Amino acid sequence: MSQISRRALLRSAAILGSSALFGRWTLRAAHAAQTQTLTLYNGQHAQTTAALVRAFTEATGIHVDIRKGSSSQLANQIIEEGQRSPADLFYAEESPPLAALSEKGLLAVVDASTRSQIRPNYEAKDGTWIGASARCRVVAYNKAMVDEKDLPASVLDFAKPQWQDKVAFVPTSGAFQEQLVAIEKLKGRDVALAWLKGLKQYGRIYNGNMAAMRAVEKGEIATALVNNYYWYVVAKEVGEANMQSALLYMKNQDPGALITVSAAGILKSSKNQQAAQQFLAFMVGEAGQQAIAASVAEYPLRPGVASPYDLKPFDELEPPPVSPADLGDAAQALSLRREAGLA
Amino acid sequence: MTSSAVSSDGRYRAPPIGLAATAVIPVFLIALPVLYLVLRAGQVGLAGVWTELARARTLGLLLNTVVLAASVTLCSTVIGVAVAWAVERTALPGRGAWRVMAGLPLAVPAFVSSYTWSSLSGAFEGMAGAIFILSLSSYPLVYLPVAAALRGIDSSLEDVSRSLGSGVRKTFIRVILPQLQPALGAGALLVLTHMLAEFGALSLLRVQTFTTAIFESYQLQFDNASAALLSVVLMALCLPAAYAEMRVRGSASLLRVGRGSARVVPLAGLGHWKLPVLASLLTLVAAALAVPAVTLVYWLVQGQSLGRGYADIWPAIQGSFELAVPGAFFTTLLALPLVLLATRYRGRLSSLVDRLPYVVHGLPGLVVALALVFLSLHVTPFLYQSAVVLFIAYGILFLPLAQSALRASVELAPARIEEVARSLGRGPLRAFVSITLPAIAPGIGAALALMTLELMRELTATLMLAPTGVVTLATEVWSHTNDAEYAAAAPFAALLVLVSAIPVYIFTRRTLTLYDAP
Repeated sequence: MSQISRRALLRSAAILGSSALFGRWTLRAAHAAQTQTLTLYNGQHAQTTAALVRAFTEATGIHVDIRKGSSSQLANQIIEEGQRSPADLFYAEESPPLAALSEKGLLAVVDASTRSQIRPNYEAKDGTWIGASARCRVVAYNKAMVDEKDLPASVLDFAKPQWQDKVAFVPTSGAFQEQLVAIEKLKGRDVALAWLKGLKQYGRIYNGNMAAMRAVEKGEIATALVNNYYWYVVAKEVGEANMQSALLYMKNQDPGALITVSAAGILKSSKNQQAAQQFLAFMVGEAGQQAIAASVAEYPLRPGVASPYDLKPFDELEPPPVSPADLGDAAQALSLRREAGLA
Repeated sequence: MTSSAVSSDGRYRAPPIGLAATAVIPVFLIALPVLYLVLRAGQVGLAGVWTELARARTLGLLLNTVVLAASVTLCSTVIGVAVAWAVERTALPGRGAWRVMAGLPLAVPAFVSSYTWSSLSGAFEGMAGAIFILSLSSYPLVYLPVAAALRGIDSSLEDVSRSLGSGVRKTFIRVILPQLQPALGAGALLVLTHMLAEFGALSLLRVQTFTTAIFESYQLQFDNASAALLSVVLMALCLPAAYAEMRVRGSASLLRVGRGSARVVPLAGLGHWKLPVLASLLTLVAAALAVPAVTLVYWLVQGQSLGRGYADIWPAIQGSFELAVPGAFFTTLLALPLVLLATRYRGRLSSLVDRLPYVVHGLPGLVVALALVFLSLHVTPFLYQSAVVLFIAYGILFLPLAQSALRASVELAPARIEEVARSLGRGPLRAFVSITLPAIAPGIGAALALMTLELMRELTATLMLAPTGVVTLATEVWSHTNDAEYAAAAPFAALLVLVSAIPVYIFTRRTLTLYDAP
């Protein structure tokens, strides 16, 4: 008796359950087809993109579906998808994933009127992607463990014996690849390789920029090579006044002061070219840049838009003469890391 | 003697066409990522294969991978068997509660426990810490089947051994352990392949294995050939393990058949061991459950990024269930014919087919997901980024878990009654549905629960293949920790653990009471 009723129960539950569940997936597809919708593959911080998309949809009525993922994995996914990619737009935390797509001929040219809105030199040379916001490489240091005046003037000096076990670095992070390629471009391959080998010998490897930043804040290690905004992320968690760490901005066009960008582009295979162009135009416009700047401690790239964070003014930075476009897809970094035994 | 279909002249019978045909589907699906990998790895060329494999780093990765997988498997096995023994065979105070508590660490995803331990101290990072933390989160996979088997084995053999003067220890090693081997072997293989594919925890704990290297190359490179090559090596590592387990289980199982003949086994008194055993159990549960729980609560109360993304909580819960539950049904459905074939029509081919999924289980989710991106876009573009392709990925990734949950139940369900029903004129499908299906319902329940649990925490394939815009608890935890908003991630992680407790409880109950008389 109990067997039979259980069986009947199971059967009806299975039928009900599966029709309810699978039903929703078909409804979704039908709904999506009705309104104009852009598909955005997003590797940038989720909150930043959410803020930007909210502002865009309010202004234009165009709906944007966001697909989350890490920038490089999404780029690899788009490469795998090829011409059939459902993505209209790709917004990445760094520029190399976009450069990789551009090299494979997967990106369309961004409208010149859009490109001219941002500071010069923060776009692809062929115009297939644009920077959305910028950040600076810095050295985060624990104020109790090291005095600011004892910090070296160049990031190259951190790869030396006197910094044994005092410097954290993240060889697998995108920004580190960019810094490595910048050093190679500025000082030559031998210097870059020696720097990497020195870091490997004397520095301490961390698996993520946040982990390195937190290690400095907790006093596990004296310094870390990171991007400026990581400090502000920790500050938001624990309160700016309680911070045990501070940031050192390198001077004199040192590679340690490299500026990198988050970037966006339009897929050539997109069937919504016009709306996608509209999105990028909005992104570099006043409202778009404000939405981005409010949600992450990066520099807006549109002149005249200020970040609400207490950042070191953009014009006071002294970056080396290497633009994001010069870095390309940063593929040389891998061969350097392999030669140094780090990959 | 089991109820496998051995005819009177002692030869194995061929399975019916219908069953064999349904088993072809999972085998076909498993072949998909293998096909893709061979295709991609082939782009390296033979010379490239050699230079890539002969690099010092490949050897280092190999060593790390093997050390980690072997150590965690060993530790989980020791802990799992010890705990199972303590709760099933000794006069432990509060046995009933311990029995359930010892299974609960399954509810804590490895990446959550790794994060919590590493936030306590940097000392938990590195290989030793990884072995410690991952053993804590993996031992229930051995404990549960072994505990169930302990309840199910024929205790008369033990009585004989004891009456011949053997002590408890000798009886355990000589009489009980051999009977536990099938359950033990299957659990251990599951842990081992899990470790080969583990990524989230290891990247937090800074241990490099083949899987982390594969993720890394997709992270930093836009040319996937060498990653594909590493994946092929990873699959090759699963082969000897799957083979060894096949040998262990192939040697005749001594499991008592049918329920009903069980009798209450006298419990061993603990004597002066009572306190140490209780203390160890308490430490184990505290380490596996309390430490992650306390850290999550700390972040819930402390952090200032708390409150971000609250609007996503309901969609995330909804997304988790809407993907995990049908995914669990689908995977269980795929696993059933494999298990039926392997238990009822024993033979080389059916055993081989039964083990194939384990080989792919050791692959990182990323590789399987990319394979499906490629194949579904080329073969069924209209299905791409629909839930269907994701369910297929879930099936490919998690079949062995469903198989292991089903197996004991299917072994217990006598094939003969179904044969009688068929001889009385019922069709094969009706005979199966009316006779065997109700009998294996506990196993199906266990499989559904375990799959729901695993699928709710699956991340990589979900990120890549879920319909655009669908979020789950796991993707939100990832998204917030990726942006380092630990406090914002905490409610999602806590919910993931809480929600997981439901399937864990069902799974624990279903598994442990499998051999009990109804």
